[in-house]
Amino acid sequence: MKNLQLKKHIMTAISYLIPIVVGAGFMLAIGNIGGGSQISDIEEGFGFFDTLTTMGGLVLGLLPLVIATGIAFSIADKPGIAPGMVIGLAAINIQAGFLGGILGGFITGYLTKYITEKLNVPKWAEGLKPMLLIPLISSVLSGLIMYFVIGKPVAIGTVFLQDYLSSLDTSDKILYGVIIGVLASIDYGGPINKVVFAFVLSLQVEGVYEPITVLMLASMVTPFGMAMAYFFQKPFRKNIYTQNEKETLKTAFPMGVVMITEGCYPIILNDLFRCIVATGVGGAVGGALSMLWGADSSVPHGGMLAMVTMTHPLGFLGALLLGSLATAIVLFILKKPVDRNQVRLDDDKEADIDLSSVKIS
Amino acid sequence: MKIVGIAACTAGIAHTYIAKEKLIKAAQQAGHEICMETQGTIGRQDELSAEKINEADVVIIAADVKVSGKERFEGKKIIEIPTEIVIRAPKKLIKRVENLIDEANQVQS
Repeated sequence: MKNLQLKKHIMTAISYLIPIVVGAGFMLAIGNIGGGSQISDIEEGFGFFDTLTTMGGLVLGLLPLVIATGIAFSIADKPGIAPGMVIGLAAINIQAGFLGGILGGFITGYLTKYITEKLNVPKWAEGLKPMLLIPLISSVLSGLIMYFVIGKPVAIGTVFLQDYLSSLDTSDKILYGVIIGVLASIDYGGPINKVVFAFVLSLQVEGVYEPITVLMLASMVTPFGMAMAYFFQKPFRKNIYTQNEKETLKTAFPMGVVMITEGCYPIILNDLFRCIVATGVGGAVGGALSMLWGADSSVPHGGMLAMVTMTHPLGFLGALLLGSLATAIVLFILKKPVDRNQVRLDDDKEADIDLSSVKIS
Repeated sequence: MKIVGIAACTAGIAHTYIAKEKLIKAAQQAGHEICMETQGTIGRQDELSAEKINEADVVIIAADVKVSGKERFEGKKIIEIPTEIVIRAPKKLIKRVENLIDEANQVQS
């Protein structure tokens, strides 16, 4: 299974998808704020905001195509693009949605790769292979699989999941908020966070906006919480940051505003365990409140900027501030007092990772 | 040792560049010469020159996603790892790379 590199392929596709969703999501949000609506009849005329709403909506409707094409490209390289688009559109058509797009992308990717490698043609037909044979055969076969095998079940499963998620009661919401908040925050944008991201992103594409908002919040509680903890130092007479760390906060906080946690890395790596605990608590509190108050971002990135796309931006702000406060309090209590002028040789500290599997390939 | 490498992560705005910095720092501290290309969401930056690649003893690809232009490294010793490893233990990784290259060279001679 490891050789299949499933995760790498889906991450590659997501890396192409993110700017598309963010751009389109903001277009839709700005259009909607300006009172725009979908252009249904070109003859009737349209205004500026109508164009934004329409473009945003059109692109967001194509996300299963984007993810399928991205995955197929990652697996099969350039020949994967054409059949990837076909199966993505088929997934949209049969209403198998984003999940259908993901599965379809894998199917068509491996199928295309197999055909590209195994199909031998006479010399005169070599030009036909990439131009006609691969796109046609691969598209037809994977399209048939989508329409006759996986499409319907996936569509039913998607509807079921949507119904389930929209019928959550308060305690369920808090529970899911805590789980997503903790998992998305504790490894600071690492592998656990990315798996959660793939999952909540699929929900977002299906129109369930709350879980991804929790993930966004979880990426922000650390920089916000660390910055808040800075201001606890004076009133409570306990110094927890060195001069270097204070300087780090100056860039880490603005990065946090736009949902980039990594600015905090120097501080985190100096004191990994305490920071993880503080972040996890903040993620849990913020996540629960965010779900409870219905914070719903229709874009998957952007941090505070994404608030323009929410119907409950104040719920998000409240959850973010309280979650960060929780992080700040826990961090402030856990952290040992330090001399402000102490210089930490953070370079010498490294995680204990077994590198024996690292090989020349 | 002469090292060339590529860094690329999923969101393509942060881990990519942290991995690049960490790897450069760790390699230089260990006395190696290193050039790193980044493939973030903005596209390719600090593209590796053919000359650099030609001279390199090893190629380190620190990526969570598919990188482009791998064909440039044909016939080279390539080491592929997720960005996570570079960010969390860059010096250990450089040590490991040194050992691997030594082993490979011994086998050859």
